[in-house]
Amino acid sequence: MPFRWIDHTAELELELEASSEEGLFEAAFEAMRELLSGPQTAERVEVEVELEGSDHALLIADWLGELAFLGETRGLVPDRLASLELGERGASARVEGAAGDPPHLVKGVTYHRLALGRVDGRWRARVVLDV
Amino acid sequence: MSELRRVGEVEWELPATGPMRVPGRVFADAGLLEAIGADGSLDQLRNVATLPGVVDAVLAMPDVHQGYGFPVGGVAATALPDGVVSPGGVGFDVNCGVRLLAAPFTGEELGARREALVHEISRAVPAGTGRGSGFRVSGGQLERVLADGPRALRGIGTAEDVELTESGGRLDGADPAAVSDRARERGSDQLGTLGSGNHFLELQRVDRLHEPATAEAFGLAEGQVTVLIHSGSRGLGHQVCTDFVKRFQGALARHGIELPDRQLACAPASSAEGRSYLAAMAAAANFAWANRHVIAHRIREAVGRVLGDEAAAGVRQVYDVAHNVAKIERYGGRDLCVHRKGATRAFPPGSGEIPARYREAGQPVFIPGSMGTASYVLAGRPGAIERSFGTVCHGAGRSLSRTAARKRIQGAELRRQLEEQGITVRSPSNRGLAEEAPFAYKEVEKVVEVVERAGLAVRVARLRPIGVVKG
Repeated sequence: MPFRWIDHTAELELELEASSEEGLFEAAFEAMRELLSGPQTAERVEVEVELEGSDHALLIADWLGELAFLGETRGLVPDRLASLELGERGASARVEGAAGDPPHLVKGVTYHRLALGRVDGRWRARVVLDV
Repeated sequence: MSELRRVGEVEWELPATGPMRVPGRVFADAGLLEAIGADGSLDQLRNVATLPGVVDAVLAMPDVHQGYGFPVGGVAATALPDGVVSPGGVGFDVNCGVRLLAAPFTGEELGARREALVHEISRAVPAGTGRGSGFRVSGGQLERVLADGPRALRGIGTAEDVELTESGGRLDGADPAAVSDRARERGSDQLGTLGSGNHFLELQRVDRLHEPATAEAFGLAEGQVTVLIHSGSRGLGHQVCTDFVKRFQGALARHGIELPDRQLACAPASSAEGRSYLAAMAAAANFAWANRHVIAHRIREAVGRVLGDEAAAGVRQVYDVAHNVAKIERYGGRDLCVHRKGATRAFPPGSGEIPARYREAGQPVFIPGSMGTASYVLAGRPGAIERSFGTVCHGAGRSLSRTAARKRIQGAELRRQLEEQGITVRSPSNRGLAEEAPFAYKEVEKVVEVVERAGLAVRVARLRPIGVVKG
């Protein structure tokens, strides 16, 4: 499992693990795909996402926040990460999914105990969500 | 817990050590202190005590529990003009708060129509985790709501509702231009919606008067039906917090601020970033008051459909309090930015901030318990000004995670137990219901008892649930 949810008293912590930094962002997508699963229609939706920032810990928090934002404002139930490019100054991605009514569980993606780095040859990240 | 030093009957000091600029103060009895020591609340309180400009002491209310950055149930005041403001010290749900309505009938008079009323209220107020379906506002109307709060909503509610709202339902300095397009997009169809998580509407019966004279001043009588509304600024406020925590990351180095936790991101209140956040936060707070105002309007309409127009017209607002907000207040000749995250303002009798009709009684404060347990109406007392920046707790405080609660009970079983106790339940999700099980929270009686023993507020009335609409 590239991701794991840990439930605290009032928040949800997401632990990610992958063999590459890009893999962490893909794992984050999988975690949000699980969290945002909900009623959907046959209408397909494609969204281009552009994120700026050289601090990749902040960037992965923004990536999660963007997916939650798309769910809340456009009703996107994401099911496929069609492309992802991670660079020094940001990330770009194409997200596909169905138009639907995903749950609005995420109030915000926090920077509390935010971490991203390489440990024992594996890439790991931790992000806490306010739900 | 050995690091805590007892300084009062129910007051403990966490000495300032290392980078802490001020000590911590914890309001708790022995039992609550044990629960507080079992999570990360005190570590988070230590971190808050490192904020530049923080004064006197950082506080933990008796319902405190671990949050993100600030603990939930935490209070910190910074000295203006250069003390910092921290969006994390307000939280994502800006002006999450509680409004209490008093009905012109008793539980006995409501009788068998209770279930119909709970059902009608649940139909009238969109709840749960799905999309808005709220009271849609045009662009211009949203601007006015952000600037002026409920008074911008003509034809909804009454002038008395606005008067009986903390800060008159409008924080000074609100600037709609400081609220991002993303925040507007999240909030545009959410006015008048409850949301999910721990948000709820509760139909209650006043089952005990602790201070009959004060209860009478608040318009409460034994047996009377009340409705408690717990909601906030929805996606709009969540996005305001998100925007500024991110923006403040870049401002830290510029202002020479080092922090133990990135979620405590802050900027001097007098800086461009600080002023911009305060303007956006005030606008989000106004949106939250408008949200509860529309919800109250819809509840009145639901009462009208079940019990008639006369009953609907007799539903009056007792008061509305915020429990996630930063406000500029004056203590000991100093202008302070008081951050209350999961904590409620509780001003004593005589305060000019209290509506004239309650000025002799003290500010009303509402402390919701968990589903199936009592909630309390309190009134602020002078001890709050002396010891807690005019603040008390905000609820019972979670003690179990949502997963742990779900492991202990199924939603359907909890629903059956509550119905057996005479509490009608409406919830869009059995899973969400189980997450809010009463045993997932501390005992509200213990929490309000500590507040009273500390001299911060007094109990006025106890409210027992007879119907719950969960978000």
